[in-house]
Amino acid sequence: MNVVRRFRLVALAFMAWTLILNAFHVSQAAGQESPTAQVSPASAAAPAAPADLEQGKRLFAQNCSACHGADAGGGDGPDLHGVPASLGDPTVQGIIRRGIAGTAMPGSSTVSEKEAANIVAYLRTLNSPTTSGVVTGDPKKGEALYNSSGCPACHMIAGQGGSIGPELTRVGAVRGATNLKARLQDPGANLPQVGDGPFGSKWTQYLMFRAVEKDGRAVEGVRVGEDSFTIVLKDASGKFHGLWKPDLRSLEKEPGKSFMPSFKDKLSAAQQDDLVAYLMSLKSAQ
Amino acid sequence: MKTFLYALVIVFSLLSGPARLLAQDVSYEQLLHADNTPQDWLMYGGDYQSQRFSRLTQINRENVHSLKPAWIYQPNHPLQPFETSPVVVSGIMYVTEPLSTVTALDARLGTKIWSWSPHLPEKIFTIGVHRSNRGVAVFNNTVYVETLDAHLVALDATTGAVRWSVHVDENGQGYAMTGAPRVLDGKIIVGISGGDVGIRGFVDAYDAKTGKRLWRVWTIPNPGEPGSETWGKDMSGTGGAGTWGTGSYDPELNLLYWTTGNPAPDYNGSNREGDNLYSDSVLAIDPDAGKMKWYFQFTPHDTHDWDAIQVPVLFDETVEGKPRKLLALANRNGFYYVLDRVSGEFVAGVPFVTQTWAKGLDKNGRPIVLPNTEPTPEGSLVYPDGHGGTNWNSPSYSPQTKLFYVSAREIGAYTVAGQPKVHFPDFGGGGRNALSGDDSYGAIRALEATTGKLKWEYRLLAPAEVSTLATAGGLVFSVSDEGNFFALDAATGKLLWEFTVGGTSAESNPITYEVDGKQYLIGASGNCFVAFSLP
Repeated sequence: MNVVRRFRLVALAFMAWTLILNAFHVSQAAGQESPTAQVSPASAAAPAAPADLEQGKRLFAQNCSACHGADAGGGDGPDLHGVPASLGDPTVQGIIRRGIAGTAMPGSSTVSEKEAANIVAYLRTLNSPTTSGVVTGDPKKGEALYNSSGCPACHMIAGQGGSIGPELTRVGAVRGATNLKARLQDPGANLPQVGDGPFGSKWTQYLMFRAVEKDGRAVEGVRVGEDSFTIVLKDASGKFHGLWKPDLRSLEKEPGKSFMPSFKDKLSAAQQDDLVAYLMSLKSAQ
Repeated sequence: MKTFLYALVIVFSLLSGPARLLAQDVSYEQLLHADNTPQDWLMYGGDYQSQRFSRLTQINRENVHSLKPAWIYQPNHPLQPFETSPVVVSGIMYVTEPLSTVTALDARLGTKIWSWSPHLPEKIFTIGVHRSNRGVAVFNNTVYVETLDAHLVALDATTGAVRWSVHVDENGQGYAMTGAPRVLDGKIIVGISGGDVGIRGFVDAYDAKTGKRLWRVWTIPNPGEPGSETWGKDMSGTGGAGTWGTGSYDPELNLLYWTTGNPAPDYNGSNREGDNLYSDSVLAIDPDAGKMKWYFQFTPHDTHDWDAIQVPVLFDETVEGKPRKLLALANRNGFYYVLDRVSGEFVAGVPFVTQTWAKGLDKNGRPIVLPNTEPTPEGSLVYPDGHGGTNWNSPSYSPQTKLFYVSAREIGAYTVAGQPKVHFPDFGGGGRNALSGDDSYGAIRALEATTGKLKWEYRLLAPAEVSTLATAGGLVFSVSDEGNFFALDAATGKLLWEFTVGGTSAESNPITYEVDGKQYLIGASGNCFVAFSLP
């Protein structure tokens, strides 16, 4: 494959991936003759009935807990404690039903307005400290550890650092503490799933692949873009490889693998908590 | 003198070269013999058999690798991706755009000639309905389109001016229209969307000239009528059997074949014990009498949203030494069916994708349902997912290879039974969580048309909701969900050409046509129509 072809593919596949990601935004509009509500009539302004907290709790467990944690303390998605108070109930209800464009937060086509209100009412009852969301470490010590452990070589925070791993500028706003700690210990395990594609599809983020070209040359990298004919992998040095699938000898997923080393044995439990505390403090937009 | 002037005009027309006679007047005779004018694409499915097979051969196995974009068309105000199946008559192409806009284009240049949009109300109920449109029908210099707020409109093919508009049913009760009409001789046949919110489905016929309704065939019986006993104790809080696909027609048998969608509430069948006739079925309708002659139900008592709205593909073939008139349909429920289209008798049926809900089909084609495959409150994993082994997007059939080309979706979903909600517009009974993209895939599959036996497949990344087009050039065209257009060898499935357009969905049915001796292939992905031709 010549350089021009490869470059064209990188551009195309990147475009395709962007489009795949963009596709996640339109899920609500694409429940092809399925129970996805497109336009909901404004519910009649009835006097507010007392919330059904039991239903809210059950629906939270069914629809939300996989990402936000069983106790809403965060996971692949953020800690939800205090969210209804800061955003207001109607906003949160809207997010539950319609999702947030450009993020991994899908809307639920099966949750009615009343049910969304019950989920929010349930979230408002969660005032006690959580187990999954608890941050015990010292963020100051964590910041020092972040810098001394080599993290900035790969990760960027507020414009500073490397671009091999995911940007962490707002990681505290989008992930839970337990999730970050698990990621430190086993970076390739349980990778986050993003998107609610046009047909409800979710895709694994940061999944590693090994491709072998016809000449035997192997490329290993994290998938940054893919369509039916192309895939773009980012290798350990951050370089993109745009590959034309029909030309490959093989293309294998490498679930569980990551370029990031495990810090399970490199840092003590207390140090890991400090590092997590620092990451959880990263919440503001640049 | 007059004669002389006419002669002069004719001579001038001949001299002026590429300027073509733009005659959009389509007669029933032309529609009956669509094969004779392969330069046109006269109707949904290409012909009354809905084979989507083109006799054009200019683009073929040998040269398809050099296919290049000729032009791109984008609507001024893209709202949703295209789902239309274009119609081409004498160099003019008619497409629909979301929500219910009709646009006429010069098919050689991609230049817009006219565009018409209805005045849609601000609030339209389209629950469970794509806010898009699947195309027009053209007949006697008139273009027929269905609108999202459930009107059927006749437009002058030359100007886009409204000839008449009829109100088909109440959008305020969930009725919406998204399909492409089917034209018979002087009759416009339409179906209806809204089955997921408990409407009562029907197929309607309207007089092509006046818009007068000629008949309505209900797809769900009234309480007390035959078939009503298949809906449990009473029929309250139920409905469905929408008719949002386009049907096919056999002029010799004078039978119209129209398919129906799922019963409602969708994922919870507890208040509709029984087979729920005539949901998830194909109905054979006598279009003169407006009467159902026979029906075949694919998924009795459906609880997985497996609308049977795929377009029926009609073909004739010898089965066990006997010539048969057949109807093929690859169903959302994961099975490929072959029926005798004279009688509705089941001929063959096999899974064409992974399916985990039925042991198989019995001798009458009824599924032998496995235990523990119903939706549960916690969610039960069943293949295929609710969008099905294939969705509404049309397959194709090549009389040359005798193969049926279909987009196959290898994906399962956790189907969740919720409390039945039976008060419009809050209507439903649960939902589904589909498996991740990395745990599923798509493919274009070539099935032996009479048996459903897999001949070859070409794998795709995502389980695609796309259509195929077969041509006499030995090709099968399709597109991936990611917007890669491609051509495969119809005999072997070998990849011969690919072009990336991108886009969020490529549901539109690609077609092919010819203008001034040049063959074009056109398909849509996202908000772009791309016409391809040889350099």
